[in-house]
Amino acid sequence: MVYSNSGSIIISVKELNAWYGEKKALSNINIDIKKNSITAFIGPSGCGKTTLLRCLNRMNDLVDGFRLTGDILLDGESILSKNRDVIELRRKVGMVFQQPNPFPKTIFENMALPVKENFGNVRREKLEEIIETNLKAASLYEEVEDRLDSSALRLSGGQQQRLCIARALTINPEVILFDEPCSALDPISTMKIEDMLMELKQKYTIVIVTHNLHQASRIADEVAMFYEGQIVEQASTDVFFSNPKTQLAQDYISSKFS
Amino acid sequence: MDSLELSTSLSVDKAEKKNQSIRVRLGRLRDSVCESGIFVLTASSAIIIVFIFIFILIKSWNIFAVNGINFVLKSGFDQQIIEAYHAPADKPVWHFGALGLLLGSGLTTVGALLLAIPLGIGTAIVITELSPRWMKGLLQSFIRLLASIPSVIYGLVALLVVVPFIQDNFITSELQLQYIKQFQLTGNSLLAGIAVLSIMITPVIVALSVDAINAVPHRYKEASLALGLSHWRTIVKVIVPSAKSGITAGIILGTGRAIGEALALSMVSGGIGNIPNPADGGVFFLTPILTLASAIINKSESMSVPSINAALFACGVLLLVTCTTLSLFTKIVERSIRRREGLE
Amino acid sequence: MNKKKIRDLMGEVMSWLASSITIAACLGIIIYLFNMGHAQIDIGFLTNEPATTLETEKNGILTPLVGTLLLTFIGTLVAFPWALGTAIYLSEYAKRNNLTETFRLGIDVLSGVPTIVVAIFGLAVFSNPALGFLSSMVEGVQDVNRAFGRSFLVSGITMAVMILPFVIKTCEEALKSVPDTYREASLAMGASKWYTITKVILPTAKNGIITAVILGMGRIIGDTAIVWLTLGGTLRMTGVQPWWRPDNWLSTLKNTGSTLTSYIYFMSPAGEGHQNENAFGAAFVLIIIIILLNLLTDFFMGSKEIGK
Ligand SMILES: Nc1ncnc2c1ncn2[C@@H]1O[C@H](COP(=O)(O)OP(=O)(O)OP(=O)(O)O)[C@@H](O)[C@H]1O
Ligand SMILES: [Mg+2]
Repeated sequence: MVYSNSGSIIISVKELNAWYGEKKALSNINIDIKKNSITAFIGPSGCGKTTLLRCLNRMNDLVDGFRLTGDILLDGESILSKNRDVIELRRKVGMVFQQPNPFPKTIFENMALPVKENFGNVRREKLEEIIETNLKAASLYEEVEDRLDSSALRLSGGQQQRLCIARALTINPEVILFDEPCSALDPISTMKIEDMLMELKQKYTIVIVTHNLHQASRIADEVAMFYEGQIVEQASTDVFFSNPKTQLAQDYISSKFS
Repeated sequence: MDSLELSTSLSVDKAEKKNQSIRVRLGRLRDSVCESGIFVLTASSAIIIVFIFIFILIKSWNIFAVNGINFVLKSGFDQQIIEAYHAPADKPVWHFGALGLLLGSGLTTVGALLLAIPLGIGTAIVITELSPRWMKGLLQSFIRLLASIPSVIYGLVALLVVVPFIQDNFITSELQLQYIKQFQLTGNSLLAGIAVLSIMITPVIVALSVDAINAVPHRYKEASLALGLSHWRTIVKVIVPSAKSGITAGIILGTGRAIGEALALSMVSGGIGNIPNPADGGVFFLTPILTLASAIINKSESMSVPSINAALFACGVLLLVTCTTLSLFTKIVERSIRRREGLE
Repeated sequence: MNKKKIRDLMGEVMSWLASSITIAACLGIIIYLFNMGHAQIDIGFLTNEPATTLETEKNGILTPLVGTLLLTFIGTLVAFPWALGTAIYLSEYAKRNNLTETFRLGIDVLSGVPTIVVAIFGLAVFSNPALGFLSSMVEGVQDVNRAFGRSFLVSGITMAVMILPFVIKTCEEALKSVPDTYREASLAMGASKWYTITKVILPTAKNGIITAVILGMGRIIGDTAIVWLTLGGTLRMTGVQPWWRPDNWLSTLKNTGSTLTSYIYFMSPAGEGHQNENAFGAAFVLIIIIILLNLLTDFFMGSKEIGK
């Protein structure tokens, strides 16, 4: 591995190949993701970033005709083995999607549902405490404090996305996957989320897909660049942007930064 | 296209031009005649809707004028029909009470809903979420077929399968003797009515629920699964609740069907307007009953008597009012759910 | 943890159970009808006229079959232009205002009105002597003449009223599903609005409109309440005989008869006919017709939506 080895490895992808039906989407992927760090996946559209991300919590199980070979280890255990409990896995590896997707329920219910479903019947005070803490962690609490009982769909796009992040935090995941969380948002909401991600990495491991290289350089510790289903370069952020090794990465960086 | 042709004919001579413009004008004339035709058809649709309501109200007016609220508070419809039928022409009987019919409609409908709602929603969940892809289309075809089976066939099958089944399994000769003073226990009963109605309205609920569930955005499902909910909890907590306005619409539509069903019920429910008595225990369900809609069928032979005629129209009014309320209720429910979810 | 899994499993099992009951009901009815009815079907059954128990000649369903076709034909003939016209107006001309919305609501309300109510409405309206030309006149007591109010014409028109709201709604949906770009393109070429409707929009919406008509036909074929009240309680044609001779057609139309549905009712114990085999034979024929119509709708709409 090229990049520095401080911090223990939480997810380790080995020799991963993936197909949608006949179409190959990922080939020979090897990557390690370090605990309490932010790893950014970058690369042109259609190169397989989302596909890999969705392998990490097995969301691709929902896609008809999707299959893969190779292995993914979480804390040293395979997440792909037959007897692995997917629900357990998704509880450890949370996800925030590109489009904000709050449920058509109140803000409170959005937050309470995963808590109740995962931890059984929590006392009301405890529930409110969890909700408050996590809304604060997603720096949304002040904005919605007095409207917890109104529909989540009435929030702005940025607020909805932060609600989804807060919601993902309620179940205490170890890793949180973000698929272009800011692509539908304005610059101010984007800044808020970036600040929050920096905060969150104290407690969680973060993997983020982004098209915004500025964003990647601002927040990421490690960068992996994808091209046509392969990882062409992976390095710590400083190294990647100051001294890209491959021609592809150089071109991609210069095209995006010019 | 006439005006297009006009533009290409700039260079032709005057006579030709005149010809063209006549054609254009004829075209316009034809258009406006057709458009007025469309308008007339639409207006007549509107008129017929209003006309049906007013006409039925007028036809039943005397009954409500004579009986007032008692029409829905008093019972004994069967007896009153017989009296009215045999009354001399100069002393017609105008007193009717449809409470028994109202309760008959209410009980059959509620009973059918209690069975059909879980059946319908369960089936819709299987079709949309649980069944493998190849099965979905097949299941839907069956549901559609079930929805389009004529009510007389339901009636026939129920009469020759369900009614004898009830008779053989739940009715003994002792029981028959015990109740002979009040009514005859034959198997034609509230229970048979509920059974046939529930199968008739289940496909309605399934159809609308399937549409509603299919319309739930996929991202809600993904969000829920990513939060560690199992597939089943996702269905129960996220998918079905998000589809509730459509499911409610299906249930209300099914309710309307159940209340309005005349023929199948007149075949199997007994045809006599008894009021089932909860104190009778299980016999409650074995009581022969009559509903508003099937009363119109059953008593239509004596419609030549003006007062009976009006009484049946009064039953029609009750049906009309109930079903109109249901239709309006659907709109209100849909709107309020949408508002609560923040979609409006 | 395990408890949760069991609870989930229970839920899924219950759903499968519910769907099995529903499907079993459907299959059960069809298999039962086939078992009970198929032996009855032969040329004689299809080509003989109905007979009462007293007669020895073979009982058949010729006139009920013709009756069903006749009613479907009249009902569709009246309802189709009426509904399509209204649907065109609603989707292409009507402005979005309170009046239109009220009208739409009225259509919804009418489509929720039970057929039995439409049936007594039909009977009462057409019993008016002024409309006697559609059925026949009865000599009333004390010189009160009234129309009989029961005939194929009356019944067909009443059927048309019954399916009208449904066909309007389905046609309107079909018209609305034509993308606006089609309208704009045609209008931009200088075509008139009416031309756009007849030459662009209607052809595009053709399948949806055909589906609407077939579903409407299905309702007419399956209905018994309206037949019961407005076609009268006769098994055979009551017009001038032989009913099939062209010069007697008008008389046939102005008189009463039966349909498959009313025939089934009359032959069943409920109709005091007590000829169950014949009821099943006719029910079998009826269900075949319904299945064929279903397949036809599948064909025209790609089995997308279930008839509401
Ligand atoms: N559900 C699917 N079925 C079939 N092919 C898919 C599916 N999802 C993605 N693909 C294909 O797999 C390839 C990788 O897609 P993926 O979504 O991972 O790209 P991406 O890097 O996330 O792109 P973007 O930056 O545009 O989001 C693409 O060629 C895409 O067309
Ligand atoms: Mg992507």
